[in-house]
Amino acid sequence: MKIRKIFTCSFLLIAGVLPAKHINVYMIGDSTMCLYTADRLPLTGWGMPFADYFDNTVTIKDEAKGGRSTRTFLSENRWAPIVDSLHAGDYVLIQFGHNDEATEPQFADRYTPLADYRRNLVKFVTETRSKNAIPILITPVTRRNFDKDGQIKETHLEYSKVVRAIGDSLKVPVIDLDERSRELVGKLGPETSKMIYMQVDSGENPNYPSGKRDNTHFNEYGARLMAELVLNEIKRLHIELEDRIVKAKQTDQ
Amino acid sequence: MSIKDRSAYPETGWGMPFSNFFDQTVTVDNRAKNGRSTKTFIAEGLWQPVADNIKKGDYLIIQFGHNDEINTKTSYTTEDDFRSNLTRFVTEAKNKDVKPILITPVTRRKFDTAGKIVDTHVVYAQIVREVAAKNNIPLIDLDSISMKYLQKLGPEQSKLLFNHLLPGENPNYPQGKEDNTHFSELGARKMAELVLAQIRIVQPDLAARIVKGKDIPIK
Repeated sequence: MKIRKIFTCSFLLIAGVLPAKHINVYMIGDSTMCLYTADRLPLTGWGMPFADYFDNTVTIKDEAKGGRSTRTFLSENRWAPIVDSLHAGDYVLIQFGHNDEATEPQFADRYTPLADYRRNLVKFVTETRSKNAIPILITPVTRRNFDKDGQIKETHLEYSKVVRAIGDSLKVPVIDLDERSRELVGKLGPETSKMIYMQVDSGENPNYPSGKRDNTHFNEYGARLMAELVLNEIKRLHIELEDRIVKAKQTDQ
Repeated sequence: MSIKDRSAYPETGWGMPFSNFFDQTVTVDNRAKNGRSTKTFIAEGLWQPVADNIKKGDYLIIQFGHNDEINTKTSYTTEDDFRSNLTRFVTEAKNKDVKPILITPVTRRKFDTAGKIVDTHVVYAQIVREVAAKNNIPLIDLDSISMKYLQKLGPEQSKLLFNHLLPGENPNYPQGKEDNTHFSELGARKMAELVLAQIRIVQPDLAARIVKGKDIPIK
């Protein structure tokens, strides 16, 4: 009797009849990933549209915060509560770099030397794994920075390299968003790419009467393009999470 | 204009971002629906609840045309019926001391071979203008204004405003999409911005309820 029960149970598992277990996907990172309130629109972190593309077995918990580096994310005690709430099978998507690499004097509060950046990322990975959750490393999304010949420049060089190296040594999946987004923005070119960043003419949008010329942060459209890149890399790398991305359904026009 | 189902994202109606730009004294109640003409909006019983619910001091923003003007669609509405349906919306609103605002149908992305934008709403947009003039109510000529905006962008950049997706780009459209009528989230917001700017001109009392921007710095 007991044997039959076990047999039935494993048969269901093999056949995939059991509904997928509900999981949480935590996102930790900076202003390019975080949530924004309506008074900031069209400013949009890529975590916002990203959340729209999963089925109901997934809850996206976007804990990213503007202006944070790996160092300040830890020192403000933003990480420990996440580790506490992690369950087996949950994911942690990790994207830092913009603020870690900022060496200008006004950003001394967030600057993180490379060695510390490496150590902090390793801590995120190790502690995620200690709860049987799954870390995914993401290189920092590109800025809109073109040279005079219209070629896009790489602005995260050293910091993106560290992310890739940790991925190699600890066997963590790496989504190379820096490279993917640089290809995409480079293809759009210096002019058209303005349309995906926070470039707002004065008087154009009620939230920004003075306008905005920002080449780091995305509008709602750019954020969705970045989310699409990440979703497609999850599929390309065959991370199990891909099974929980929404399947298209026919919609009426 | 309508609120889209999540499974249709990134297709976005301009009413969606529009509702984010008013202060707390305003509730934007978006009753627009894909595929509807003035005729089917009435026939399907979508108008009556609006007529029943609107009350003194409310505004009624009316934009139809895309589905009225196509004579191969079941939603096709003759020019005369389009005129009388719009007049009905306006009259019923006015009878309840509600302020109607008429909007000409937002442009499609259609350029001629010389790269000049083509007006695809010539006849029906003109009817909207005439109904507004005859009833002495505010008009937002979104057809003309959005055409000018698309012309400024040109055939290539204007693609970003519409639901154009490469195959494999977006989970909701595995085969891709080249829709030159329905907007992306960017196009929807740009159209909302154009409408908001016109409200400042034609309906200052409503414009007073548009959010006062705080220019919040980005970290």
